[in-house]
Amino acid sequence: MDFELHYTGEQEAFREEVKEWLKVNLPEDMEPLVDPTNPTPDQYKWAREFRSKLGEKGWRAPTWPQEYGGGGLSMDKASVIDEELAKHPIPQIYDLGVSLCAPAIMVWGTEEQKQRWLQPIMRAEIAVFQLFSEPDAGSDLAAIKTRAVRDGDEYVLNGQKIWNGSKYPVDLLYTLVVTDPDAPRHNNMSAFMIDADTPGITKVPLNMIAHHKNEFYFDNVRVPAANRIGPENEGWRVAQSTLEVEHGGGGTLVSRNHMVHKLIEYCKNTIRDGQPLSKNEGIQQTLVDLYIKAEVGRLWGARNYWMRHTRQSSAYEGPQSSLHGKLFGVELAKTILDILGPYAMVNDPTWAPLIGEFEHHQRYSLAFPGGGTPEVQKVVMARRLGTGKPPQRAAATY
Amino acid sequence: MDLSLTEAQEMIKNTAHSFLEQECSQERVRELDESETGFEPGLWRRMVEMGWVDMMIPEEYGGSGSSFTDLGVLYEEMGRVLLPSPHHSTAVLGVLTILEAGTAEQKGRLLPAIARGELIIAVALTEPNYGWEPESVQMRASRRDGHFVLDGIKLFIPDAHIADKILCVARTSDSDDPAEGITLFLVDKGSPGLSCRTLSGWMGTKLNEVKFESVEVAAENVLGSVDKGWAALAPVLEKAAVVLCAYMVGGGQGALDHSLEYTRTRVQFGSPIGTLQRVQDHMIDCVNGVDAARWTTYEALWKIDVGQPVSVAAAVAKTASSEGFHKACDSAHRAHGAIALVKEYGLYMYTKSARTLYYYLGDPTHHRRRLAQLLGM
Repeated sequence: MDFELHYTGEQEAFREEVKEWLKVNLPEDMEPLVDPTNPTPDQYKWAREFRSKLGEKGWRAPTWPQEYGGGGLSMDKASVIDEELAKHPIPQIYDLGVSLCAPAIMVWGTEEQKQRWLQPIMRAEIAVFQLFSEPDAGSDLAAIKTRAVRDGDEYVLNGQKIWNGSKYPVDLLYTLVVTDPDAPRHNNMSAFMIDADTPGITKVPLNMIAHHKNEFYFDNVRVPAANRIGPENEGWRVAQSTLEVEHGGGGTLVSRNHMVHKLIEYCKNTIRDGQPLSKNEGIQQTLVDLYIKAEVGRLWGARNYWMRHTRQSSAYEGPQSSLHGKLFGVELAKTILDILGPYAMVNDPTWAPLIGEFEHHQRYSLAFPGGGTPEVQKVVMARRLGTGKPPQRAAATY
Repeated sequence: MDLSLTEAQEMIKNTAHSFLEQECSQERVRELDESETGFEPGLWRRMVEMGWVDMMIPEEYGGSGSSFTDLGVLYEEMGRVLLPSPHHSTAVLGVLTILEAGTAEQKGRLLPAIARGELIIAVALTEPNYGWEPESVQMRASRRDGHFVLDGIKLFIPDAHIADKILCVARTSDSDDPAEGITLFLVDKGSPGLSCRTLSGWMGTKLNEVKFESVEVAAENVLGSVDKGWAALAPVLEKAAVVLCAYMVGGGQGALDHSLEYTRTRVQFGSPIGTLQRVQDHMIDCVNGVDAARWTTYEALWKIDVGQPVSVAAAVAKTASSEGFHKACDSAHRAHGAIALVKEYGLYMYTKSARTLYYYLGDPTHHRRRLAQLLGM
């Protein structure tokens, strides 16, 4: 076994190339951001240009084939890019194209569809939202009702989607709709890529404590049949290729646990009652416990990353990692509240610790339903483990 | 990065798996558990023949000088069937301490004997004032006429009842630093004044009280330098704990496998109980416990092998493994119900082992405290 990535001279030379490129394309004085995923309009404008430049290099999907807009690079070079990008507070544009939509197109799309969409997605010419959930179909995704009726070379869509996207514009909607209402569950739906400016689509923002999400209404929206991904009524299986990644199957090597390390540093450097918070034995044991859980999360993420990039078939590992991350986030929020009291709740520029990151975490840790609630992750895990029945394997993804 | 096993490790795993399937059935393990010594010389002999006992011994002393990950792969298989043996005491704690502290003469004499299966060692560190910190070592060894005299009680010592020699950790001088003044002695089990009594109770390993009443030990049987024993022992305890973790991973996996099978075959309310989400929750807790133990353990083993600092990873792994194995067994009981209490069913063997190994080589509180220190809190 080897838990570390190793870089050859060639890869280290590539790191220099990435660093040099970033020096040219990033401003010198980048301010730290409380939430890189929630840019201001100015940051958004800048970030769109920046990611187009990244896309031109093929660095948004470094290990994907070049003919589809990827970088055609090895896993090691891809992680060099990840590592170097992670060193800068770069505002992120909400766009599920590369992460969730492209794998489904890769597995299920026709060659024409791959040519049509993968390049613009990878090159960041367009942004994609995923439209799966409906008001009455959340965890029970198979209960969707939005209807698509075939009419010549087109389908006509009517219905409503929810919990989608961000406050910024979108170009393409990756959507799941019912194409055969008489067929059994899971065999009645199809997946579509829909131009967001098609007449009949209305986007209505929701007012939320964490993330900016919208509802989408479809009123006689005409979508070309050529925009259907995969066979008609096979949409459930297309969606699984996406959900496999969304349920943590993609893995990660970039630590998601930075908040724990920030909390530990904060407790070491903050004096209360004449001593650092971290000297309080109760706080110390809690922090150490979080540290261990963070290590477990890091290792499961690395395991999943390795499994995906070596194209190994997985079972329960994706949802296991996802479940851990979601519940850990909530537990961490409670601990921050215990240790910091009202300081955990302010983003006031004078009094907020860490420019308000703890306050941000109080709200955002509650956004655990995104990509499937913890309960859904458990359901998938149980199927894959084979409780009560023979185990199921994970869906094909890329 | 490559998280797969090497070909050689796959071979260790497969060989161990089929050997243990054959030689170490649940019934046999339970019989041994209920026997007086819990030890079967024939099985130990087979382990020696298969090269399991000399893995940590370098080639120059008659061993195979395997990596810690190699050993971890074997330990996971041993834990899966709860193989009872003095392997950890002798071939891990004993061997690593001799390698760390022993003179060339001692290594040349002791290690080949261990490799041949002719010498079983038990490590006696803990006392009635139970703990794994140096301050817990209070038993005295005093100098008299060029040798040492040991007096006191060592408690909860695995394998002492079948050992040929006791590796005894005792205090030879006092100092402000509790890690100073500790010396390691290799004491013949037959020494006058040394007695050993196996404790009764519900334990996964036979644990003993070892009494020293004016036991004379020749100076040549000191391992390492007088008063400097802890410095030699501390890194050994750390590494040996990680190896033990691999056994606990296997144990947790055993409990998980049993339980998954049960959720598929046990029918209530007209369906296998594994279709009930309440039962599924227990299986998810179970696998999460095992996998937390597994990945922290294998990363720590890898760190030892490549020579990276391992203290943090070892403390994380032992905490995660103690908690994980325990969680796996508790969840298994929740999924099973009353059948788990029936001896012939066998699940209780895992539960007992999880509880016994929970505190062996340091419980989670001990390792959390150590981690706080290491993280500069």
